[in-house]
Amino acid sequence: MNLAIKFEKVEKYFLYTHQKTLKEMIQALFKRKKTLERIHALKNINLEIKKGETVGIIGRNGAGKSTLLKLVAGVSQPNSGNVFVNGRVVPLIELGAGFHPELTGRENIFLNGVILGLSEKEIKSKIDQIIEFSEIKKFIDTPVKFYSSGMYMRLAFSVSVFVDPEILLVDEILAVGDNQFQNKCLARMEEFKKKGVTIIFVSHSLETVKKFCQRVIFLKEGKIITDGQPEKVIYDYLKNEKIL
Amino acid sequence: MRIFKIINYYSLIKYLAWREISTRYKQSFLGFFWVVLNPFFQMIIMSFVFSHIIRFQTIGVPYPIFLYAGLLPWIYFTNSLNHATNVLVSDASLIKKIYFPREVLVLSTLFAKTFDFFISAIIFFLLMIFYQIPFTPFIFYFFLIFIIQFVFTFALALFLSWANLFYRDIQYLLNLIITLWFYLTPIIYPVEFFPEKYRFIFKLNPMSVFINAYRQVLLGGDSPKWESLILGIIISGLSFIISYLIFKKVEKDLADIV
Repeated sequence: MNLAIKFEKVEKYFLYTHQKTLKEMIQALFKRKKTLERIHALKNINLEIKKGETVGIIGRNGAGKSTLLKLVAGVSQPNSGNVFVNGRVVPLIELGAGFHPELTGRENIFLNGVILGLSEKEIKSKIDQIIEFSEIKKFIDTPVKFYSSGMYMRLAFSVSVFVDPEILLVDEILAVGDNQFQNKCLARMEEFKKKGVTIIFVSHSLETVKKFCQRVIFLKEGKIITDGQPEKVIYDYLKNEKIL
Repeated sequence: MRIFKIINYYSLIKYLAWREISTRYKQSFLGFFWVVLNPFFQMIIMSFVFSHIIRFQTIGVPYPIFLYAGLLPWIYFTNSLNHATNVLVSDASLIKKIYFPREVLVLSTLFAKTFDFFISAIIFFLLMIFYQIPFTPFIFYFFLIFIIQFVFTFALALFLSWANLFYRDIQYLLNLIITLWFYLTPIIYPVEFFPEKYRFIFKLNPMSVFINAYRQVLLGGDSPKWESLILGIIISGLSFIISYLIFKKVEKDLADIV
């Protein structure tokens, strides 16, 4: 199969309860407020992404970008329609979710590695490269609670990029660390691209999207507005959002 | 069978359990010793109260060790449930981002608590030597009883973990239920202490079945009472199957709720 990801007529709703507690509920009853709201997060999404494609997703906050990534990652299920994913998905979303502040950098590499689906053996064989890449060799045996936020992110990113993903989900993470480290990350992503990894790239930085992606999808209120050439889609986006 | 797929997540379970064990007592001077000291001092305090102030008749063994044989499995049970209730909430960031079977989180918590249980059991065996209670081959039934208790605990833990994600009231409710349950289980008192006509409660309460069986094999030098243990196995097995099936149904919506 040549496809990495396929969405067929995907619909996703969220139920949002405005009042969480009994007290709020009673108050709402008296004031006749809305209590339950159904949010239509994705509307009839049809999408095919081929293996090795680098796809950027743009749109405003709440357009459904993160929901789309969640469906690809398999953590969330569509209410109707089908999502097919073919290959090992590695999410680079809000890095370091599995980190524990009391554990050392080295211990956290192991922990995060197994969370991302590596075996202990694989981690052992890669750990030197990971530490090397993160540039925090000196502090690797210090608990991460003493790390600066930049160091924290660098360690987390380093673990994720050594997982050998087949499908990489990138959500707004290139705001990591200083310029020099960002360039290193981008270089690493270019390597992935050459290796044929499918990359889905969510970013508000249109410059990076234009430079990095072969194809861009513009989402608005849960619908795909345009899908295609980066320049064209970004132009549509700017026009649609009245920025141009 | 889906349930066997969990073996693929062996490393993950191991590391999550290890994370819980190794981080809990960081930044405390006695650190790891609390695992042993905590139940031990609870036993000392309760022994004093219940053998000097309120006197319970026991099965021919000194009260402290009689109490300890019930208290350790009980502490294991409640610690497991308390932690499992919060495990999905505290690992919400993982649930929202990465797919793996969610029972992995519950299971790793139970393994961490099992580790504590076995460590604190060392003191129990030292006490047995101290009170000169003979070691008999029946002691090995301990592992069988423990496995049944584990299955029962896992069943309740699975339910509590997702229920608390929907309504955090569960964790407060659990505290109340555990307090009530404690008094309805023969931990501080022997079964015979209860009036005969109410004793059927103990047959239907798996925790009471397990604790009686532990005492039987460890202190009584006898095999467990099979008729009540088999009822315990049936209740544990059934509640596990039901709880697991419900968990698998609810699992796919968890990321949307947290």
